[in-house]
Formats: sequence, structure tokens, C-alpha cells
Amino acid sequence: MKSKIIESKLLGEKIIQKKLDNGLEIFYMPKEGYSKQYAIFATKYGSNDSRFIAPKDNHDTIVPDGIAHFLEHKLFEEEEGSIFDKFSELGSNVNAYTNFTSTCYLFSCTDRFYENLELLVKFVQSPYFTEENVEKEKGIIAQEIKMYDDNPDWKVFFNSLKAMYKEHPVKIDIAGTVDSINKITKEDLYKCYKTFYDLSNMIVFVVGDLEEDKVFEVIENNLKEVTKKNRGEIVRIYPEEPNQIAQKVVEENLDVSIPLFNIAFKDTDNSTDAKEVLKKEICTKIILGMLFSRSSDLYSTLYEEGLINDTFSSEYTGELNYGYSMMGGESKNPKLVLERVLEYIKNVKENNLDNSDFERVKKKLIGKHLSYYNSIEYIATTFVSYYFKGINIFEYTDELKNIKFEDIQKRLNDHFNEENSVISIISPK
Amino acid sequence: MLKKYKTVEIDKNINLHVIKTDKFKTNMINVYIKRPLSKDEVTKNALLSMVLSRGSKNFPTTMELSKELEGLYGAGFVCDAVKKGEKNIIRFAIQLVNDRYVDEENVMKKGLYIINDFINNPYILNHQFDENYVVQEKKNLIERIEGRKNDKMSFAYGRCIEEMCQGEPYALYEYGNIDDVNAITSKALYEHYKNVMSTSSVDISVVGDIDERLIEGLIKENLKFNMDHIVDIKREQIQDADKVTIIKEVMDINQGKLTLGYRTNIPYEDKLYNALIVCSNILGGGANSKLFKNVREKESLCYYVFSRLQKFKSLMMIAAGVEFENYDKAVSLIGKEVEDMKKGNFSEEDLMGAQNSIITSIRSMSDSAGTLSDFYYTQSICKNEDSLEKIIEKIRKVTKEEIVQVAQNIKLDTIYFLNNEEEGRTYEK
Repeated sequence: MKSKIIESKLLGEKIIQKKLDNGLEIFYMPKEGYSKQYAIFATKYGSNDSRFIAPKDNHDTIVPDGIAHFLEHKLFEEEEGSIFDKFSELGSNVNAYTNFTSTCYLFSCTDRFYENLELLVKFVQSPYFTEENVEKEKGIIAQEIKMYDDNPDWKVFFNSLKAMYKEHPVKIDIAGTVDSINKITKEDLYKCYKTFYDLSNMIVFVVGDLEEDKVFEVIENNLKEVTKKNRGEIVRIYPEEPNQIAQKVVEENLDVSIPLFNIAFKDTDNSTDAKEVLKKEICTKIILGMLFSRSSDLYSTLYEEGLINDTFSSEYTGELNYGYSMMGGESKNPKLVLERVLEYIKNVKENNLDNSDFERVKKKLIGKHLSYYNSIEYIATTFVSYYFKGINIFEYTDELKNIKFEDIQKRLNDHFNEENSVISIISPK
Repeated sequence: MLKKYKTVEIDKNINLHVIKTDKFKTNMINVYIKRPLSKDEVTKNALLSMVLSRGSKNFPTTMELSKELEGLYGAGFVCDAVKKGEKNIIRFAIQLVNDRYVDEENVMKKGLYIINDFINNPYILNHQFDENYVVQEKKNLIERIEGRKNDKMSFAYGRCIEEMCQGEPYALYEYGNIDDVNAITSKALYEHYKNVMSTSSVDISVVGDIDERLIEGLIKENLKFNMDHIVDIKREQIQDADKVTIIKEVMDINQGKLTLGYRTNIPYEDKLYNALIVCSNILGGGANSKLFKNVREKESLCYYVFSRLQKFKSLMMIAAGVEFENYDKAVSLIGKEVEDMKKGNFSEEDLMGAQNSIITSIRSMSDSAGTLSDFYYTQSICKNEDSLEKIIEKIRKVTKEEIVQVAQNIKLDTIYFLNNEEEGRTYEK
């Protein structure tokens, strides 16, 4: 297969892309002068994919919560032992993460890159699950879950998802619960592996100061399947999510010194068109920058009144069938902050956004986006998450420049509505 | 790796470190003002960094500063006070996009103007800091100090050091203590500022695509200091352990947080210090370490377990999150791994894996402007002129015998366990 080149003049970067006959897509981004070399082998399979019809099945499968993450842990085990040892001999760092929509295996090194790459490509294609090694992992993951249970930032985030979503699996903790993981069997793991770890559902992203030909050659030479079999499609079943929120307020008590809060706005215009999702994301980020960042009236007022402190921040997450804005931090009176936020939004809607704020925040986002290309980890993980949504990350700055003032005015009215808003609060015990 | 590194004394007690590299899209300037870590100063330094951040003569409010930074393509600016061994560093940092990528000229010069304004022209009313700012930041600092317990892992880690180093400056908490915050007045804080600005040694580091001579000129022209009678800062004392103190404290949590503090008795100036680095890495450096393999993988006792050195005080800290009832088992398993190091019960592969992994981390440092800046500053504090390559060479030469020798000097000093019911303090010989 021939490769093609994606380029961004503004960033001064390029990516070489190649799609193989077996369906795997490979990307290589040269980063001259960098010491670190980095590769990710990713599958479009995350905690949201808990119900699906596997190719050639005529029935759906419902798996225990936390299985994608469990599978990620177990893939490091090989028949001859843990794969960690082999990477360690080479001095490289191997790791993995599971989020709502993907599972990613990665390593970084500064030497012997191609040996590392071969190991990565091979181990992700070699599942080895036994009853014994599955049981053993349950103790470790239970401790991981409990570690998160003690983390107030994580709790306040997840509780706001639970407040927003009635049905969508994004409300379920990525790692599952101690009970749900205890139900996981090796058969479940093989079922998920066979369904989602097919090369046609995966990509490899490589970044570093490397030899282009060799990168592709090493990957291609280590793939188990060379041609695409006619396997059929994976059908991912997501329950119908109503526009309404599930619960206005979610409160929980933990041993903390001051309440933590997270205010969220749930998207109701959920598109599955990649271009629209990207545009919506950028518009929302501009609005958040204009209304809730340190340059805004609201931030200054709330800060001066002692209602927020410098932990206050905001962000937007946009996926193909759901999205939300979130803002939060610490406050002695989170409910009053919510009230003030809603009042402020109402005011801005009546009196309009400011055009000079708009132009300045666009500049800020361009600069921030540029600075992300300093970090090869950031490039790799971001590329993968956008690519699985159908978005080429190089289009980000072009899209950003194209956003018009009218676009954000419309987005402000569509998205920031009181009836879509929730608040999650973690209070001291 | 790096194109060039150079240090020059640009004024009395003012050193400039220029790290020239063209791989980043941004340039970074750090100004480090060195103070002793002392009970008397630590709270004032923390508060000072927060009050100075609030405004300067030409940017008197957060809003004005933020708008300026956003207009400069999202420049990042921080001022904070951190603990570095028994030194307290007040740091001003600014990250600026390289003008090559945007339609904006003199970004560097504009950035220097901002950083200088915040260092040298604070926002002053009636010959002292603005009373409102001081009152607000005192409240914020108290919240921060109280908020220490919110992150349970780092709380347990910090408490262990605090107990272990009682009576030594290193026990001081980075943000100070609440009684001292309450006692600070605007006037006293301003006096403290003036004292800091006349008695500290200053290091300025610039990382980026810059002409050395040009930047030297720009800095001399735009960043002015007048430092005389420099405050004396002593090198940290290295102490031995005479008994083991076991401290158990209660918090309402789901998982026990265990930290073990060891005295290594090897100062960083010692040629055996590199062997200590390798020793700690074999024990608990990563996924191939003895603690990870035996305490996590074999016994399924925890999710996280690691060993880390506190360079300036020659401490080695081991931390893990475990079930409450597994306390004894975890302590004994960790103890066994440390004993094994003393007996030389580790393999050639363990040694090589650890060396390679350290070398990878050292090489990777050159890919982050922040890390590079911190590395050269730390080197200058330690009066160590080794380059990254030189350190790599020394790590490679570490032998098994040297590791056993350093391991035999390691003594357990304090065990700290944060749990949900047992409280107390006991001693063992």
C-alpha cells in the first residue's frame, strides 16, 4: 500500500500515513532532534463499549463493567511471563491506559527503538489469559479502584457524569467496581479481545527522530494477519440517552478540608459527524476561555469574593455521541458558585459576547495548541483520541481560525442552558 | 542532544544559564531566587509568591495580566515557592511562543517585560502590598495548607518525611503553617520582599531557540537586580537513624497509605551516590523492580509501590497503597526486598535493566524545557558540572559491589501508616 503525507504548514510538522490490507492504519510523525522515541498501539475499544454484537454473532453480548481496563492489565502477561521484563532489559518504559473510548499500549525509549517496537506489536497481538492469572489480577485492580475511591478529584468528576447521564455507559467508572471485576472470567476477556483487538479496529502511532522506512517495515513484518478476512462489523450498542439530565445535584462526603465541586453542562445536540464535533469543541473552548478563564469578569469577581480560588478551571469534552462542559475547583459554597455562573450566563446571553475577547481567546488557543507539539507524549495520545473520532488533529488550527463570532453566539445559546446543568459536590465529613 | 549550554555571571550574584535548542515551539524563562528553608521564612515565602502573582505596577489585576498573556498567544506565567532540599526557591517562570510560528514580533521582549514587572515592580499601595490582596491570599494560603490532606498519597508521603526529619529544616511543609500565616501583616510581608530582593542569589535560565549573545543583552537590559550581602544557606545535614519510629494515623479512607523512610547515609557529593540511584531503581523504580514484581505481581498486595530518593537529604522513601489488614505483610515483604539488596540478592539483569531505565530517563530530560531548566539549576546548586552524557557514563559504570555497599548503609528510620482505625506511635531498636 502506498503511503500518504499529512502536513501542517503552521505547525511545521508532518505525518506519514499508511493503511495496510489487513485494515491496520500506521502513522509516523518525524520529530527531529528529540531524544525520546515513542509508539502507541491502540484499539478503538473503551469502557463505553460494554454492550455489542460481535462480527458473525446473531445476539448481543453484555460484559461486566471494567472489562476493557481489566483486559489492558492482562495483556502484559505472556505465556513465558510478564512482558515488563523484556522492555526493562532494553531500558524502556512500557505502559498502557484505558479511557471511555480507547485502550492504548505504549512505550518510550531513547535507544534500540525497533526492538521495542517489535515487542509492542507482538505482545498486543498475543493474549494469554488463564483462570489463575485472571484471579491474581483481581486483587491488584481492587487496590487500584480503592486508590481512586480515596481521590476526591476523581470522585467529583465521576459524580458529575452520573448526574448528567441516565443511560449512557460514560456514567460507569472505567475500572468498574470491586464486585463487577470479580465476575470477569477468562472467556469474557477472550470474547472482548477477539471482537475489538482486530487489526481493522486498531492503529499504530509512532513519533520520534527515526527512519521512516524502518518504522513501517518493523510493524508490517510483525503482524499476525497480513490480509483482511471478511469478518463483518462490530455493532456497538449504546442505550438511548435522553436530553434531560439524570439528577441536578450529586453530593458525597469524603475526608477533605474544603468542598470540591464540578459544574457541568450536558450537550443535547449530539452529532456523530466528525467535522461538526470538532467545530463544536472549538466553539465551546473559546466560550469557556471568554467567560470562565482568569481574564474574565466572573473569575475575578468570584475570586475577590473568596468563592473560588486558583484551582478553578474549565474544559470541554466532545465525543461522537455525547459531550459536556465542566468547570470546577474548591469552594466554601459551591451552590452559590452555580447560582452565580447561571446568572452570569443569562446576562451574557442578553448583552452579547465581546468581540475583542473572542479574537484574543482565539490567539490564546492557537498558541496553546502550538505548545502542545513540544511534547511527543501529548502528540501521540492526542492524535489517537482524535483519530478514533474521525478527526485529523492537524485540522485543529485551521478549524480554529475559521470559527466566526456568530458560531460562538449560537453555541452559547444552544449549550449553556440551566436545564442541562448539574453540580457535583464533595463535602468534608 | 543539546545544541549548547552555557553559564555566565551577568551581575554580582546573578547567574544566567542559556540552554540553546531549536526543537521546541516555545521559549522558556525561569528566574530562581534562592532562600534558606527555615521556620521563619517558609510561610512568608509562600504568601509572598501568591501576593506577587496578584498584580504588578503595570498589570495590577489578574484580569489585566491574563489578557496580556492571552494576547501573546497564550503565554504561561507562574510565580511560586518550592522546597528544594533545605532551600526555599521563589520561582518566576514564563513560557512564550517562538515568534517564528505566529504573526507577532518581540514576544520574548514582551515576556521579559512582564516577568520583570512582577519581580521588581509589585503592586504597591501606601508603601506596602495592597491590603485586599494580602487578606485574600492569606485566606487562600490557609485553605491550601488545610487542603494538604485531600491528596492522601502525598499526605502520607509528606507526613513520613515530616516525622522523620523532626527538628531538621527539611521537616517544614512547603506552604508553611496556619499560625504563621495569621501573624503576617502587609507591612511585614513588604519588608520581607525588600529583604529577599536584596539578599538572595539569583539564577536565570533560558531554554529555547535563542541567540546567546542576544539573550544575554536582552536579559541584562530587561531584568534588573540589586543583590548584596547574600543570605548564608548551609548544605543539608545528613543524619543517621538510631531507631525505627512507627506512626499510625487515622483518616476516613478506603485504602491504607504506607510510607517507609530510610536514611541512606550517602551524600550526593559521594562517588557512590550513583550506585544509590541504581539501588533505589532496582528496588522500586518501575514495572521491572523488585517491589513491583514481588509485592504487587506475586502477592497482589497493591496497585502502586515505588521507591524514590530525596537527593539533598539522602533519604530513600518507599510508598504503597494496601488493604488496612495487610499492613504487617506489606512491611515485612518490603523489608525483605531491602534486605535482599544488602545481601546482593539481585541479578545482572536487574542491574542492567535499572541502569538502562535511568539512562533513558536522563536522555529524555532534554525533551522538556521545564525539566532541562530544573536540571541545570539543580546542578548549579550542587556545584556539579557533569553534563547529561557524563552522568550517563557514571551510571553505566556502577557495579554490583558498589550497590551492595550502599545498600548496607541504608537504615530504616520511620514507618508511617495512614489508616482508618489505628492510631499510635511506637519505637523499635
